[in-house]
Amino acid sequence: MDINFTESENNFRNEVKDFLKNDYPKHVQEKQNKGIQLDKQDLIDWHKSLHKRGWAGYNWPKEYGGTGWSHTEIYIFQEELGLANCPTILPFGVNMVGPVIYTFGNDEQKKRFLPDILEFNTWWCQGYSEPGSGSDLASLKTKAVKTGDKYIVNGSKTWTTLAQNADWIFCLVRTETTNKKQEGISFLLIDMKTPGIEVKPIITIDGDHEVNSVFFTDVEVPVENLIGEEGKGWTYAKFLLAHERFGITGIPAQKYSLEKLKERLGSNIDEDLKQKMADYEIELNALHFTELRSLAALANGQHPGAESSILKIKGTELQQRLTEIFIEAAGQYILPYEGPDGFNSNKVPSSEIGSDFSVNSVSKYLNFRKTSIYGGSNEIQKNIIAKAILGV
Amino acid sequence: MDLEFSDEQNMLRDAVSKFCETEYTFDKREKIVESNLGHSPDLWKQFAELGWLGMPFSEKNGGYDAGPIELSIIFEEFGKHLIVEPYLSNIVMSGSLLEATDTDVSRELINNIISGNKQVSVAFSEPNNGYKFHEISCSVVDNKINGTKSIVLNAEFADKFIVYLKNENNNGLYLVDADTPGLSINSFSTIDGSNCGDLHFEDVSTENTVVLLSGDDATQGIDKMLDLSILCICAEAIGGMFTSYTKTVQYTKEREQFGQPISNFQVLQHRMVEMFMETEIAKSLLMKAMMQLDANDKESSKTISALKAQVGKASRIVGQEAVQLHGGMGVSNEMSIGHYLKKFTAIDSMFGNRIFHLKRFTSL
Repeated sequence: MDINFTESENNFRNEVKDFLKNDYPKHVQEKQNKGIQLDKQDLIDWHKSLHKRGWAGYNWPKEYGGTGWSHTEIYIFQEELGLANCPTILPFGVNMVGPVIYTFGNDEQKKRFLPDILEFNTWWCQGYSEPGSGSDLASLKTKAVKTGDKYIVNGSKTWTTLAQNADWIFCLVRTETTNKKQEGISFLLIDMKTPGIEVKPIITIDGDHEVNSVFFTDVEVPVENLIGEEGKGWTYAKFLLAHERFGITGIPAQKYSLEKLKERLGSNIDEDLKQKMADYEIELNALHFTELRSLAALANGQHPGAESSILKIKGTELQQRLTEIFIEAAGQYILPYEGPDGFNSNKVPSSEIGSDFSVNSVSKYLNFRKTSIYGGSNEIQKNIIAKAILGV
Repeated sequence: MDLEFSDEQNMLRDAVSKFCETEYTFDKREKIVESNLGHSPDLWKQFAELGWLGMPFSEKNGGYDAGPIELSIIFEEFGKHLIVEPYLSNIVMSGSLLEATDTDVSRELINNIISGNKQVSVAFSEPNNGYKFHEISCSVVDNKINGTKSIVLNAEFADKFIVYLKNENNNGLYLVDADTPGLSINSFSTIDGSNCGDLHFEDVSTENTVVLLSGDDATQGIDKMLDLSILCICAEAIGGMFTSYTKTVQYTKEREQFGQPISNFQVLQHRMVEMFMETEIAKSLLMKAMMQLDANDKESSKTISALKAQVGKASRIVGQEAVQLHGGMGVSNEMSIGHYLKKFTAIDSMFGNRIFHLKRFTSL
């Protein structure tokens, strides 16, 4: 047993640190560290800076333009980004549709889509959930009927993150109605500019416009946009969900936030809050090492054991607990709230702890309620563990 | 980074596990607890023959140089079977202090411990000072020991005590025979089937005592002993948590109500998933702590406090849920399941409980 990373892994970590010091776009960094919302261009600039360094495909094999990094290197890369409070790498292209295309797509599709994903020339969004299909995803109803060399798509998708910015959407659609709901689903790539697509914002309880409804009315999609075989979409969807779980705990970002909170509070800290923070920090350390256990297994060529199934549930619970600690630290000053963008600079409420801090605390608290719902709700995750591990 | 146990470590786990499964069934354990001997002299002898009593001692003292990882393995397996043998008090606590000394007396004593011929307990805590183990009032003045030490594990069966005392200049660790005139022992059964006692010293002469460590060496010796002991009992708790949740899963599969196994009920499934998660999360901290402890620095002590606090919380959840899901059987003393809850409660109380270690974690 050895708790340490190897020398070459530590050197790699320094490379990532150097990149963050020199090439992480300053205007993005400044906004991010002040807790100001990033706009579309900021996010594009961030992703392009990674591409410029050759790291956009951080978890892709070399043959498709990725880094070819080991599990440990990927882990270190993500950890350093989180500890430096970098924006999330948007998962829709590089984590989701990209791996589906290079695993199940044809050569034409690989050539057409993969380079733009890496270069962040196309912004992808995910068309999975529907108004009637949440945790029971396979019950989806959006229909695609093959007519000549196109599919005619009708239906709607919901909770579509950042669809307002997207150029393309990857969709699960029903191409056949069968007895078994997992069959007859296909995986389609759809250009968001196609006539018949309408995006309507859904405003979440924090006042933010992050998710959307996407409506499809007689949308024509060329058959060459079908990935793999018709009717096999569920297999690809499951493959993708496995990729989605990657890095879901957000532990490094939580460590960053906790340190900032400690800095902000200084020595003027309530004893009970201090205990609560210690309790949280201990569990965060425990989950961190649980993640390392999974990593060590992967790096050893084994399947991660039972402990990896815990990561989604516990990671999101801890994320939510931290947001509670933040609003408790901010106290009554969270009450004035005009949305996640903060206050008009001419009219800022008084706040002992800083109005920027109170606004960020409350908007994150409300926004992060989503974490135990998305990616397979935590109740669904418990069903999976009960069946797969406890055998009940 | 490599989180795999070595072949030798896996063999050790298998050996301890097999031994406990056959020699320490719950029925046999209950007989040992009821025997009023506090342990099984027969099994203790076998522990000696198997070499387990020499594990953490250095080779020059006749031991096997085993470290925190091996001890964690042994205690995790002990915890699964609710072992009551005085391994912690003799081998871990006394062992860790005796190893820190280098005298003929301690070498001879170590030999006698390894062979199972002598039992030694550490008397460090006192009434009325909680977990402030270094604030002691039991003292040596004019070569006479006076005062009381409390919660001395296995006190009734110890041949010698290592006693943490204050003298004119500093604190010291004194080796005192159990039958020394003026020393009286009040012994009690403990909630987890073992025993502990209060030692009352009344003008006990230091003439036949030996000072093992003094000053900073004594203080650091006690701190090191505490960190290692915490690691061991946390491993023990985690072994117990594993058994508690697996026994609970098994029970709910067999127990039928309303015409079906109660494991079919989702509300119970999710609660058992919580038990499983609490066990695995705590185990992660245990692994971190066992690999860090040899560094013996601030960071390793911080992880030890994190572990103790986390295990305090997690074992309470797992222990209580195991009792709840066993229904009436859970509160019945003849079933093993409630004894795990007692073990967890005992462990949380020892060497600083959850509240104490949350505070220590923030102060380090």
